[in-house]
Amino acid sequence: MDVAPQETLAHTLRYKLGLTGTKLGCNRGECGACTVLADDVNIYACSTLTHEVKNRAVVTVEGLRAADGTLHPVQAAFIEELSPACGFCTAGQVMSAVALLKANPRPTREEARLAMSGNVCRCGAYDHYLNGVMRASGQLS
Amino acid sequence: MSSHDNMPEMSLYQPVQVEDAIGIATELAGRGWLVGGGQDTYGWLKDRAKTADALIDLKGIESMRGIKETADGIEIGALVTLTEITRDPIIKERYSLLAQAAGRVASPQIRNVGTLAGNVSQDVRCWYYRRGLNCYRAGGNLCYADTPEGMNREHAIFNASRCVAVTPSDTGPALVALEAQMVIQNASGQRVVPAEDFFIGPNLDIRHTTILRPGDILTAVRIPAKWANATFYFEKVADRNAWDFALVSISAAMRVNNGVIEDSRIMVGAVQATPRRLTSVEQAIRGKPRNESTANSLGNLASSDANPLNYNHFKMPLMDNLVKRAVRGQA
Amino acid sequence: MTYMHIGKDFTPPDVEGKVTGAARYAEDFKKDGMVFARLLGSPIPAGRVVSIDASAALAIPGVLGIFTADDLPPAPPPSNPALAKEWVTYIGQPILAVAAESDHLAEEALSKIVVEYQRRPFVVDPLDTLTEGGPDPYPNGNTLIRNAGEAAAGTTASGTDVGRVKWSIDQVAAFRAGREPVGAQFGDEWSYGDVAARFAECSTVIEEPFVTIGQPHHSLESRTGMAYWENGKCYFHGSLQSHTVGHDALSAMLEIDPANLVFINENTGGGFGSKIFPYPMMAVTGRFARKLNRPVQLRITRAEEFYIGSARSGMQGWIKIGLKDDGRVGAVDVAIVNDAGSGGGGSASSSAEHISIMFQPEAMRFRGLAMYTNTTPRGAQRGPGQNEMAAVLAPMIDKAANLAGVDRVAMRRLNAPRMDGKIGARQGGISSSYMPEAIDKAAQMFNWDQKRSLPREISATKVRGIGVGQGFHTAGSNGYDGLIRIAPDGTIYLHTGVGNLGTYSYAGVVRAAAEALQCDWDNCVVVHGHGDLNLPHSTYQGGSNTMFTETRSSHVAALDVIQKLKEIAAAEFGGAADDYSIGGERVFRTSDSSKGMSYGEAAQKAIAMGGKYSGMEYPDDIHRTTVRSVQAMQGTGLIGVAKDTLPRSGAVPGMAIAFCEIELDKETGKFDIVDYTAVAECGTVVHPKGLRQAMNGGGIWGFGMAGFERHVYDPQNGLPANVGLYQSKPPTYLDVPVHMNTAGNDMPDPQSPVGARGIGEPAQGCAVAALMSAIADALDGHLFNRTPVTADMIINHVAQNGFNTGNLKTNTF
Repeated sequence: MDVAPQETLAHTLRYKLGLTGTKLGCNRGECGACTVLADDVNIYACSTLTHEVKNRAVVTVEGLRAADGTLHPVQAAFIEELSPACGFCTAGQVMSAVALLKANPRPTREEARLAMSGNVCRCGAYDHYLNGVMRASGQLS
Repeated sequence: MSSHDNMPEMSLYQPVQVEDAIGIATELAGRGWLVGGGQDTYGWLKDRAKTADALIDLKGIESMRGIKETADGIEIGALVTLTEITRDPIIKERYSLLAQAAGRVASPQIRNVGTLAGNVSQDVRCWYYRRGLNCYRAGGNLCYADTPEGMNREHAIFNASRCVAVTPSDTGPALVALEAQMVIQNASGQRVVPAEDFFIGPNLDIRHTTILRPGDILTAVRIPAKWANATFYFEKVADRNAWDFALVSISAAMRVNNGVIEDSRIMVGAVQATPRRLTSVEQAIRGKPRNESTANSLGNLASSDANPLNYNHFKMPLMDNLVKRAVRGQA
Repeated sequence: MTYMHIGKDFTPPDVEGKVTGAARYAEDFKKDGMVFARLLGSPIPAGRVVSIDASAALAIPGVLGIFTADDLPPAPPPSNPALAKEWVTYIGQPILAVAAESDHLAEEALSKIVVEYQRRPFVVDPLDTLTEGGPDPYPNGNTLIRNAGEAAAGTTASGTDVGRVKWSIDQVAAFRAGREPVGAQFGDEWSYGDVAARFAECSTVIEEPFVTIGQPHHSLESRTGMAYWENGKCYFHGSLQSHTVGHDALSAMLEIDPANLVFINENTGGGFGSKIFPYPMMAVTGRFARKLNRPVQLRITRAEEFYIGSARSGMQGWIKIGLKDDGRVGAVDVAIVNDAGSGGGGSASSSAEHISIMFQPEAMRFRGLAMYTNTTPRGAQRGPGQNEMAAVLAPMIDKAANLAGVDRVAMRRLNAPRMDGKIGARQGGISSSYMPEAIDKAAQMFNWDQKRSLPREISATKVRGIGVGQGFHTAGSNGYDGLIRIAPDGTIYLHTGVGNLGTYSYAGVVRAAAEALQCDWDNCVVVHGHGDLNLPHSTYQGGSNTMFTETRSSHVAALDVIQKLKEIAAAEFGGAADDYSIGGERVFRTSDSSKGMSYGEAAQKAIAMGGKYSGMEYPDDIHRTTVRSVQAMQGTGLIGVAKDTLPRSGAVPGMAIAFCEIELDKETGKFDIVDYTAVAECGTVVHPKGLRQAMNGGGIWGFGMAGFERHVYDPQNGLPANVGLYQSKPPTYLDVPVHMNTAGNDMPDPQSPVGARGIGEPAQGCAVAALMSAIADALDGHLFNRTPVTADMIINHVAQNGFNTGNLKTNTF
């Protein structure tokens, strides 16, 4: 694949690889819709050059299912809690939640909201996403 | 008024040795753009408000990574991310002021890639300037914000000199409070500059916020042991508690012995183009007990010589209040 | 009433796609040969385009063409043109689009296009243009005039014209200072009752000025579209809140027969009122694709979404409120000047309507005026008029109640609409209201009686504030179509033309059909989102309208299915249709359940019987969109189709009540919301999780309006300061409560077959009002008389430095 020197990761994912689950909400690092993981750390794909992460493991929302197709616990919990509203920010919210739970498997609700705070939800479904994080970490049943 | 979303065409260098990076930067001079985390880079370029021929990605340079102890404190590689700073056990233990400041920058994702060097080197956030208007700082000959009708709520109340933009950095004031030393390399070698002299106002150079010039690379930040384990106070007041830049921030380091303030460094962010040191406050509290009464005795000492614009008078009481909180030790 | 589906949580079919990334939005579609279009916006706030030279751009290999206002029917002011030429009226207004083989080339082409402009004077403050001698935003005037005119071809604004109105310097000065502008001309007026006589009976009378800022919607999905043409048909991937109700309008914008448009929109990344109907830019996407004979994706950047995505109308006003001894509202007099931006209207009358229903004044007068400015066009945004009025009214009502010596909640309960509540100019009735019960429920959940006696002082610097507020929006209409198909295999296809704006109402409303059909939800398929899927004509979706309106049309379609099932069974087993019942997805003789057949068997019979049973015939009152859909499904199963002609009278009120407790730091001007409790008075709860989603999301919008979001223009050059998200300041996780406590009142509305009304807008209105009320309470009743109240204003107020008084105007900090 031919990647231009100045090309952003979001551009490569969406336009070159057809991975459109990663959204562009602002393209300026101000919303979080493009959040992906690089070596398990959540970053804004709109504000990362593809060449900057060429030696890192990049995971998008499309890559979270288990090999047998099972949803990631965060995805399952977000469905259970009806976390998404319009859904445009959801992939980013999922990726930040996954990054959080890798680093801190049982966060408090306060820790969760700090960790998720780089993801705007314009619909205002924050309460529902936090419930989803708590459920995915086994703290809500 | 065109609005862009794509990065402009440019070349990319990814050196792995700092000497190579310096070589490239020197050769490209003003047409090269150093990238650490890139979080104050891509917006400028996408907006076409600034241009460059090439990006020089420094992230491959191992020598600019890591936090290590030195004979007199610690040395933080320029590429250390803000998240790494918030999690580093030594910084958290001895220099928690810096960890706190780094932890309030922007958002988690930005802290995950944004570097300490980038946070102190970022350009001002004046919205007129960011918009690409040809103001003084952009090389023109007027200021849109410093006018009777300018929308200048976030602008400077001190030391304006044609430009009224403020320093947006949360870590800058903390580093000056800690008497950090900035390690700068260029083709002629290495120099070490006190953080206080690293930041420069528009009276000295209206086009730059730091002393870095093309060919210079900030490679590390050294924090001396002088203020290790001191009494610290950090607070940032912003509109929103994520993303937003400070309306005013305070970074204070104090040596308190038996409840008495023996020495202090009190810095305020977002009130002028550089971190503002409050020497009058430092003098006023020296030898005084760290309590409510000392705090209240300061009155409006911190803001008394401010020159507010139309929409930013609030920064005066806000900085006075933050100074009081730092001195009395509680919000 | 015990329901199978209504009031039960369910998993809407589109949720999984949202968490896996499989859900596709307009910009996620690609088409072979697709080209990329970008917009060029105006750098000047007012003027005209003299010339466009695109030769250098077009000389770039891969740049395919430009599209300008000359490619569109003329759209004289104040219709918001897709592309401007003679009337450039705001910075960022699109002038042309350019298309290229790659998005990169399209952006490169932008910089090569030279547009020559002629400038005109401009104005960004509605009161500046209202002042005699002040500049006009259009060459022919400054205000909206309502007439009976048709919309200009290719636009959606109808019935409007530009007029000119001016006030004397003294009148404007009085208005700015919070006094009645005596003798001033207004564009819209209504009143009822004897206002002067009722004021004379009031023992407490307050007069206050107020200002609200119009926030941009900034839906997270910018309004990108992709269109292509095949065999004379236009396939359009767009982003609308509504679906089929926009079909004819979009066809008209493209000047094609509605039968030749396939509109595809399964997911929409937020709209909040800005995508209710097709918007001008869609004309460019579709027509540019036709002009180039290539699929065109027109991507809108975040900044462009600010420019063309519309915003709430700012509001500046004066109000006089009179309370009688017992706390009853005797009279209200309100005058409002709206900032209508460079297009769109004001929502002042809706603002007044909020007062009329929430407080049931015995007499009331409203006067309103919509002024154009050279700022971004305004449009509907989540409770336009009502919610900004709720915001500024709440602290004023508190002040009046406190002066009258009445508890703030008791006063609201006393004045709240009951079943005989009246609304607006004509004092018409409402479908139902259990607002007093909702207030009681919320007050109990919040523990108002205990909290109101808590000390205000928390520490030397922190104070507690508790607040209460109400929201209202009309929440329902009627007259739309329902459509259901039972396939021969027994699968029940519930067709809806409702859009998917993120509330899951598209799925919630058809649950009313599943309820009536007493069928297993797992055997139902919700059919929506794609013009080729045979959708009925459904309501427009200004959030609150959907639940009431579309549960009705789903219900009538289900009734039609049931009647046909019974007739089919009667034809098979004898007797009359009335002798049959349904249950367990079977239709059977009531007296002998062995005489019956499954829904699938009935569908097979329907195909054999033809006629109305299989859609070969259909009612003559259904919309042509529905007709096309029925025709496309003829002979494929049992078709239930009907127009909602159920009885309806009065306005359908969606209402909500909220309580807020904050801890406000007087040294920093910052506050934490430590308790947010709200109850929706929206009839029967159809989808509990969906309701909480609506109430919580509306709550966040309320906090944004109260404390953060802004719309700032520089009067020196007409430049907006908040084109980006971080400058517009939508609330983040860290600016809102860590828990939210919301519920429904769950009392059925008699005019909905399942008792439901909608709630989207009031969810914001109650929240912004409660937070504004709490802020004022924390500051000993101080009124800022504006939204938002930001940290700087609180700091200035506490410091008593006198620097807030200049802020009573819109489009500023």
